[in-house]
Amino acid sequence: MRRTLIAAILLLAASLSPPPPCASADDAVGVVRSRSGESVVVRGGKDLPATPGMKLLQGDILSTGPDGSLGAILRDNSSISLGPDSRLAIRDFRFSPAEGKFGLLVRISRGTMAYLSGLIGKLSPDSARFETPVATIGIRGTRFAVKVGEPAPQ
Amino acid sequence: MKRAYGLVMLLLLCACAAPPPRPAAPPPRDVVVLLPDDQGKTGSVVVTGAGTERVLSKPGQAVAVSKGSAPGDPFVLSDSELAAMAGPALRALPPPPAQFIFYFNLGESELTDESRARLRDAARTIRERFPVDVSVVGHTDTVGDKRYNYQLSLKRARSVAALLSAEGVDPAIMEITSHGKDNPLVPTGDQVPEPRNRRVEVTVR
Repeated sequence: MRRTLIAAILLLAASLSPPPPCASADDAVGVVRSRSGESVVVRGGKDLPATPGMKLLQGDILSTGPDGSLGAILRDNSSISLGPDSRLAIRDFRFSPAEGKFGLLVRISRGTMAYLSGLIGKLSPDSARFETPVATIGIRGTRFAVKVGEPAPQ
Repeated sequence: MKRAYGLVMLLLLCACAAPPPRPAAPPPRDVVVLLPDDQGKTGSVVVTGAGTERVLSKPGQAVAVSKGSAPGDPFVLSDSELAAMAGPALRALPPPPAQFIFYFNLGESELTDESRARLRDAARTIRERFPVDVSVVGHTDTVGDKRYNYQLSLKRARSVAALLSAEGVDPAIMEITSHGKDNPLVPTGDQVPEPRNRRVEVTVR
């Protein structure tokens, strides 16, 4: 009886928890191309080691340690990378040219990021936005880099 | 208004997360620098801080933003300053995907001689950039019906994939798709022979 109850509770818990994140070609927003040192993808609260070829999903957080770097290509053919001690979140990514739907929102909270714009930058630059803790960055088809928390000149 | 609220929340979050600043040092700043792309073209970025916009439009131009302030005056970073600021991130930035287009004669799934000669370039790029994903997408012009063209463009894509694998490209990294007559490079009416539409597009990313 007790075991049945426990099983029922477990089943209920399993049905209530969200389905495990899985990367299918359809919902992937990009793919990891290069990495070095400590570099992880934080998904669903778990640190997954970044590996070349790994699919990225909306909501993923990319994070590097003191010796780390990470480079990825997003589905609109834009490239994004992190230097050491960096952290950014892919908050939103939409790329459906056939339906005219575009969106890119990246929040960088620490370290350095570089970005080379792709088709969203070409087709709908206004729908791309990058946020640092103190500034927002909009693009008009370009390559740029940002560093968060650079010490001010003395 | 909602955005201003969001910004305030962000600033608060940031204030909590940041280590206690030493009283003497000026507050750290976020620095944004605009760079030319790999073709040497420079677009522009708009940096907004505390509701004030600053446009960067020249290569190497940078702007610093401190918490709660408008962006400062743009300045130009030297190469060594740029390397110190963002060198590792810039080195880790993947090159944009490379695309190769191979052409075919009417109704055929054999490459034109000219296109065949360029297969090696594609294979070399794939080798140089490995690990990569490669998409091989077949297309036709609008001569013939839909079904025939779907089959023909699939045959074309398979033939290019086979030639690439003969050049040493692992078939497992190639994704073959067929668009038939639905996705012409050069829009035409129906039943129009157009050599530029009889193609296979290979994208290396």
